[in-house]
Amino acid sequence: MEELFVHRPGEATATGDGPLHGMKVALQPNCSVAGWPADAGSNALAGFKALEDATIAHRLRGAGADLCGTTRMSEFGFGLDGSRAGEAVRQGAADAELVLDLMGESRLAALRASVFGFKPSYGRLSRLGIIGLIPSMECSGVLATDPEMIAKLLDAVAGPDGMDFSMPAQPAVDPAGGPLDPAGLTIGVMTEAGQDLDDYRQAEFRRALTALTEAGLAIREVSFPEFSLFSLVHQIVGAVEASSCAGRYDSVRYGQRAAGAKNWNEMYLRSRGAAFGPLVKSYLFQGAYFQFEQYGAFEAACRIRARLVARMERLAAEVDVLALPAIDLGESGSATSLADIYAQFGATLFANVTGQPALVLPPGPGIGVSGLQLTAARGGDARLLALGRHLFNGRGGKA
Amino acid sequence: MQFSQRVDCGQLTPQDVGRIVFLAGWVDAYRDHGGLVFVHLRDRSGIVQIVFNPATAPEAICRQAAGLRAEYCVAVRGEVCQRLAGTENPHIETGTIEVMVTELTVLAESEPLPFSVSEKAMVAGAVTAGSDPVAEDLRLQYRYLDLRRPSMRDHLVRRHRIFQCVRQFLDAQGFVEVETPVLTMSTPEGARDYLVPSRVHPGHFYALPQSPQLFKQLLMVGGLERYFQLARCFRDEDLRPNRQPEFTQLDLEASFVDEEFIYALIEELTVRMFAVGGIALPRPFARMTWTEAMETTGSDRPDLRFGLRFVDVTDLFADTDYSIFKQILQRGGCIKGINIQGQSEKLSKNVLQNEYAKEIAPSFGAKGMTWMRVENGRFESNIVQYFSPAELDGLRQRFGAADGDVLIMVADPSYSVVVSALGQLRLHLAHRLDLVPADRFCPVWITEFPLFEPTEDGGVTSSHHPFTAPDRTDFDPANIEDLLSLRSRSYDLVVNGEELGGGSIRISDREVQRKIFAALGLGEEETREKFGFFLRAFDFGAPPHGGLALGMDRTVSMILQTPSIREVIAFPKNRSAACPLTGAPSAVTREQLAELALLNPGGRDVLPGDAQKDDPIDRLSWVSRIGFAAHERPMLEAVRAGAETLAQLAVQQAGAEDPIYTVVPVANRLRPGIEARQSPLAENGRLLESAPAVKGDYFKVATILE
Repeated sequence: MEELFVHRPGEATATGDGPLHGMKVALQPNCSVAGWPADAGSNALAGFKALEDATIAHRLRGAGADLCGTTRMSEFGFGLDGSRAGEAVRQGAADAELVLDLMGESRLAALRASVFGFKPSYGRLSRLGIIGLIPSMECSGVLATDPEMIAKLLDAVAGPDGMDFSMPAQPAVDPAGGPLDPAGLTIGVMTEAGQDLDDYRQAEFRRALTALTEAGLAIREVSFPEFSLFSLVHQIVGAVEASSCAGRYDSVRYGQRAAGAKNWNEMYLRSRGAAFGPLVKSYLFQGAYFQFEQYGAFEAACRIRARLVARMERLAAEVDVLALPAIDLGESGSATSLADIYAQFGATLFANVTGQPALVLPPGPGIGVSGLQLTAARGGDARLLALGRHLFNGRGGKA
Repeated sequence: MQFSQRVDCGQLTPQDVGRIVFLAGWVDAYRDHGGLVFVHLRDRSGIVQIVFNPATAPEAICRQAAGLRAEYCVAVRGEVCQRLAGTENPHIETGTIEVMVTELTVLAESEPLPFSVSEKAMVAGAVTAGSDPVAEDLRLQYRYLDLRRPSMRDHLVRRHRIFQCVRQFLDAQGFVEVETPVLTMSTPEGARDYLVPSRVHPGHFYALPQSPQLFKQLLMVGGLERYFQLARCFRDEDLRPNRQPEFTQLDLEASFVDEEFIYALIEELTVRMFAVGGIALPRPFARMTWTEAMETTGSDRPDLRFGLRFVDVTDLFADTDYSIFKQILQRGGCIKGINIQGQSEKLSKNVLQNEYAKEIAPSFGAKGMTWMRVENGRFESNIVQYFSPAELDGLRQRFGAADGDVLIMVADPSYSVVVSALGQLRLHLAHRLDLVPADRFCPVWITEFPLFEPTEDGGVTSSHHPFTAPDRTDFDPANIEDLLSLRSRSYDLVVNGEELGGGSIRISDREVQRKIFAALGLGEEETREKFGFFLRAFDFGAPPHGGLALGMDRTVSMILQTPSIREVIAFPKNRSAACPLTGAPSAVTREQLAELALLNPGGRDVLPGDAQKDDPIDRLSWVSRIGFAAHERPMLEAVRAGAETLAQLAVQQAGAEDPIYTVVPVANRLRPGIEARQSPLAENGRLLESAPAVKGDYFKVATILE
């Protein structure tokens, strides 16, 4: 169990009592809790201890949750290499876990741990005090064995934060305006989303859809011909934002400084050269390429992003919920290159590009190892979690 | 009010008495005699007194008049009247009349002035407010006010007349006014060029012309035959009180002419120009060879308004026993002197010995100065006892010395030291003894300058420029002695010790030009490189030609007898070559310098990152300041290759949509009710807790650059 956590507090951390009373919540070391090590899995922050609570940590504690420790994470949460996200919940060491979702990490981690994983709508959770890498796409995902618990946790921590400039002043609202009866929802299936799956996973996905039908939901085929462009947009925009975002790791305010630099430039080159692992370093170089040599390509990606977001909004309005496979190529081994990692997250990163919520259902009755991913328009968090709850109950409350 | 009906203030005469006139101008001066208001109204033409009289003018007008102040711009209507006997003002041309105002319009009010503009007293015998000297930089800062003063306006108007005179005369002589470029190539002249960076050719520069020398000669090759231009020229010279970094010269050149043509033409022109200032120059202009000028005045721009010519006495002391002279003559030196006639009363022993011999002469470069006063037929001096009777007799005859005369002599092994020091003594004494007659003008052509001057390394350099024709062409370019004996076909026009201009007959023969370059030690290739385009023109049948340039600012200043050339230039630079009005020269932004490629001109400095520019991976490493190990290179090369593919794809797939950078609405966010304050984490030092290196209350970093 100690292996699971990289840091455990010596005493109870709740500061108030409320709806989360007694809930054990695991964090990753990218979420600031005053006095806790917070290196976000990177040498660039080696030895850094958080000075203040992140807004969501503060709200968790205030609502009575017990922050029970931080779990091992990949460098800046980028991919799942080196991460043990999800295990604490699976093993019962925590009731819930917050996992940074840059391209689907919280959802794939949930799938691996056979628990529910939910990425909220962008802008719903404060990012103040959360160390990330792709500001316009990242979000704290929530893992738990029960969608009800996820909903409860989010209700306690979501909402505007005047100190987080990236949050909209008004939270995104569910376009439906109010709660929907989960049993009567129409589920859209994008024909393009599962195209690349092997036969086995295609069959699994079809079985999952059958399970949905059996649960009383209507299935409707919809089309998103440009679905494959999400990966292109994410690779370019994500890399550029990462390159900008990682500019702060200068070995001046935190991190470790390489010895022997004769001047400022050398100090940067050496310290930053030693700070980042191969995957993040690759990503930062890729970002620098677009920033400094192909800015037009970055702008082009932002244009495509606008098109994809608009298309997804129209699509999401045609149905109540969209269903997709959670994993396509399904390589669960370690991803060592950018190409590997983008292949791994090909089915989940769309939600980071559009900022829409996404829920991954763990394997269970009717749902195979590939799991099932449900998504809705941005702001449609409640209906996804309600649907998840509905299906969860239909399974007899087993994740 | 109709400006078309406007009458010039200065044009009114007693013949206009009884006329109703409409005037407009500035309030030059103002007197209020208890309701009766007198104003000097000034326009470009002059000043007339206008009167606001409650007896004849509407009350509202008189009330308005009481509010007038200096330099208000006004328009009035009124009747021209004869002044009452005894109230005439001799200071102004219209002093016998005045205008009784019936209408007044204030066209523009003026703030209190930084200095008084008025130069004309309102009553006979009074002193004007504008007679106090004003600091020149203040005048230049408010030059537009300074130019309202009648004397300044007069300078500019008369400058214009002189320029008109030049244009009309030269036009009548068949000269064509042609403009030559201001952005040009650096030319081989004496002073430094002002350089203008080219934005479109980074690292390359235009030069502002020091003179249109090459272009005017090319115009002769181009068959214009007679060219002139009132050209703006630029020289980045060290500061001197009476120099301007930019100045106007009359530049002219003519084909198929010789020196006599130039002398005649310029004499006629100069006489006409000076006539504009009411000065009649003596004709014909004197001529003096350079050698004669140096021998008799020690200057190549001699002031001939007074005597004090040098007398050479070297030969008188060929066998002297006076050891100082003896040693100097043994070293090939010379002795020259001046007879200052009838001035012994003003030049006492004390002045001659303690001031001139000990202080002034050494400050002019002489090691000493010998002096003798002639009293009662005898020489009086501290060294007279060392001279033999024959030597003294020789001096008496040579100088024509008589009682009351003072002789001064300078001896030195160096000829140039003797003439230079004695020349400066000559000027010093002339001014001290008040021997320079005012209102006298002595123009003189100085001719036959040496073509070459010796250089320190045993070669020669051009005295003027390498295109000046020599007086003979049979010289041997390898024989230094021969070269130094050459005289040039150049000429300077000097008036009262000031060089107004100069020029020369140019070389138009390719062979002679080649010999000149050979004499200067310039090889074929070097001359091509320096003057290639120019010399090429002479391969196509260049006509014999010559010309001259006259410094117009200096000439106008001399004609108008102003204390400095700045008085005849509308917007001059001050003594520090700066413009107090505009603030030029001024600093420019880093962006401007960068655009002109001046931040690192010529790539002289190796900037950080230069070495990384060539390799695509090194470049990315440098711009993102992330180092990498050699074994990481293949990985990063693959990343770059992948990124190139992505870039192509993105550009292909992008439509005309507006790009988005976030999925939430963008809004400016304020934090109402929160005031800026120092973070408590900074105050208690906790911000520094995770820093790798700290010094005191600060993060510690490596030095910015090595």
